[in-house]
Amino acid sequence: MSIAKMKKLSVIGLVSNREELMEKLMTLGVVEITDQEDKLSDSQWHEMVARDSDEQTVAEFESQISRVSQALSVLEKYGTGKKPLLHTKKPITLREFQKALERKQQIEEKVAHINSLSARHAELTNSINKTQSLKLSLEPWIEYDVPLEEKETSTADIILGVVPSTVDALQFINELEEKVPESMAKLLKSDAEQHYIYVVCLKEKRDDADDVFRTYGFSKVHFGDMKGTVKENISALEKKVEELTAEKVQIEESIRGREGDSEDLELLYDKLVILRDKAAIRQNLLVTKKTFYMSGWLPAKAADKVSSLLEEVGCYYQIEDPEKGEETPVLLLNGGFSTPFEAITKLYALPDSRSIDATPFFSLSYAIFFGMMLGDAAYGVVLAVITGLVLKKYKLEGMKYQLIKMFFFCGISTAFWGAMFGGWFGDLVAVVGKTFFNADVSIPPIWFSPLDDPMKLLLFCFLLGGIHLFIGMGLNGWLSIKDGRPLDALFDVGLWYLLLISVTLLLVGIVPTVAKWMAIIGAVGIVLTGGRHKRGLGKVIGGFGSLYGITGYLSDVLSYSRLLALGLASSVIASVVNNMGSFGGPGIKGVILMAVAFIIGHTYNFAINGLGSFVHSCRLQYVEFFGKFYVSGGEAFQPFGENTKYVDILREEN
Amino acid sequence: MNIVFENLLFNGVFLAMAGAAVAALAGIGSAIGIGIAGQAAAGVISEDPKKFGQTLILQALPGTQGIYGLLIAFLIMTKIGLLGGDGLLDITMAQGAYIFASGIPVGLVGIFSGIAQGKSSAASIMLISKRPEELAKGMVYPAMVETYAVLALLISFLMLNGIQV
Repeated sequence: MSIAKMKKLSVIGLVSNREELMEKLMTLGVVEITDQEDKLSDSQWHEMVARDSDEQTVAEFESQISRVSQALSVLEKYGTGKKPLLHTKKPITLREFQKALERKQQIEEKVAHINSLSARHAELTNSINKTQSLKLSLEPWIEYDVPLEEKETSTADIILGVVPSTVDALQFINELEEKVPESMAKLLKSDAEQHYIYVVCLKEKRDDADDVFRTYGFSKVHFGDMKGTVKENISALEKKVEELTAEKVQIEESIRGREGDSEDLELLYDKLVILRDKAAIRQNLLVTKKTFYMSGWLPAKAADKVSSLLEEVGCYYQIEDPEKGEETPVLLLNGGFSTPFEAITKLYALPDSRSIDATPFFSLSYAIFFGMMLGDAAYGVVLAVITGLVLKKYKLEGMKYQLIKMFFFCGISTAFWGAMFGGWFGDLVAVVGKTFFNADVSIPPIWFSPLDDPMKLLLFCFLLGGIHLFIGMGLNGWLSIKDGRPLDALFDVGLWYLLLISVTLLLVGIVPTVAKWMAIIGAVGIVLTGGRHKRGLGKVIGGFGSLYGITGYLSDVLSYSRLLALGLASSVIASVVNNMGSFGGPGIKGVILMAVAFIIGHTYNFAINGLGSFVHSCRLQYVEFFGKFYVSGGEAFQPFGENTKYVDILREEN
Repeated sequence: MNIVFENLLFNGVFLAMAGAAVAALAGIGSAIGIGIAGQAAAGVISEDPKKFGQTLILQALPGTQGIYGLLIAFLIMTKIGLLGGDGLLDITMAQGAYIFASGIPVGLVGIFSGIAQGKSSAASIMLISKRPEELAKGMVYPAMVETYAVLALLISFLMLNGIQV
């Protein structure tokens, strides 16, 4: 259980067998092939071997993959197909998979076609934007009705231009006509930024006019080689936008028509990824002229399978245990109930390979804490039913599967604790009975209602917390013993057990004399041993400092009071909701109000308190429990295998 | 005039209702906290709209203080008979004052912890903008702040529960 035992694998084989071996290892998917960087920098190795690699093939596949994934994202963007709520891999037999890929050429053509459609689409969007901005720039000139190609007559220049809106346009026109009487100017339009003006001026007086232009910051506007009046141009542009938009819509439609291809594309994508990975793994091999070398890790359980495979291919190999203290990749292996809770461990960080996996030790308490905090039987049933249905309908894997399965267990736990404390959608039954039927009914709690006797539940929470902490400390002691430091286990855990148990006994008032002496032995022991790793005066200070750590245990235990508080929060909010629903009294209006309050209120309460229960259960594990013993920092075991995204290739066992 | 005014202010029911009002003030903290987290979330969404769900979860975390306040306020109102069938109970000055006191922890702690939790949530939202896989860790930091709101809720509840009416 917990962390799977790993074995080290080294293989030497003939280059001619390399492809076959890689193919088979990939199908098996249980060997992690490690990078050989350190061997290459070792001069002894370096003289004999070189890194095997096939970067060109990898790059080739990479570019194909990116083309396919681009096409897939285009299909997804414009497609109407509803995406399933949860992404699952489609099971497909190896034969079907290979058969579908016989049409690789055709599928590639489809990819090219979709990508060309999408490129045209982008082009169209671009030119629509351009046309529209051109149209916008023409609009202020709409009243100018001289064709734009008429830029001059034989004796006069026609100048179109703008002055900034800070300039008084009329003053500019007056001054121009005063200084250059052989000219005329007209203000066409003004907006927030500038005034639009056209000027006609005798060619020989142009220099004088330019002087005035400069003083007022008049800048000429050019329309390039446009022909016809502004109005004509604008309507032509509008027409162009319309045409372009029509084409764009048409292209979107034809992309949509291609939606059926997405299945083929997904197959191709996965095939390419497999090929890419197979080419990329060669990075991690070392080669001479005729032989190759690889090394890696595999779970001890898979050793037989791998060795028979290696023999079949005809390689020289060695499978050995890791050296003591050597770091190995981490693969968590747990029983049926604990496995889903690995998600919580992974969300924190994987354990160090030389330490232990916390999962089996906290999975039960996680479910209990979650259940007590959500604390409503009906919510628990809802949670368990929803997650149960999801598990049944979708074939999930990895983290998603674990989380959903975990919430399924948490839902059952919630239903249990809710029934113990008598919460079924809060006090819904009582409120409905009283409001609509004038009857005094309620579902009695199996144990007791926390609202009646909160102190009792608070003490129960502290008790649970104490057990939880003791398990954590016990694991710490066990790790010390395993490492060959039994004295550490005695001093750091044993003495604390003694002290904490005796203090609890003193508080409760059971066997006070015994407890008193136990407490004294514990406390003195801690003062004497707490500073044993320090020198000189540090020994004394360290000892007392260590005893002061009792405040830490106090706050750790008090932290479990959140089990009560959050449990109360969800049950009281539930009854607030029910109460609000009952304000309508009996009758049809009352029923409607009740239904609305029920749906909105309980959904909200379920969501916010479900989130709270998840977060706070995590916190109790991460801070209070993990803090006592957990060593994180392991690297995940990443076996070389088929890393497909869309399909799950089934092989018949033969 | 004076006597009437005194009777109006210094009676048990008024003090108890003031206690409920103080408890409900915890909502201030939640509102500000959620606001702070929302600003950070909107910034992250502008870069990557796919993170909406994750940021929403983190934004919701400082919302609990308001709920705790509401809870205590509701319990106070039930206790003095403002909610639920039988009408207002006869509350003495002393009882009213006790009830008032019981509303203070959750109200006061709620305001400040809500704001602090909001800041912590905002920081966690920044965290998941760069490393979305670390959502769980991002949720634990604000939960550390919330501990103190939970403790205040517990004290308010136990105080209120101990008062005989």
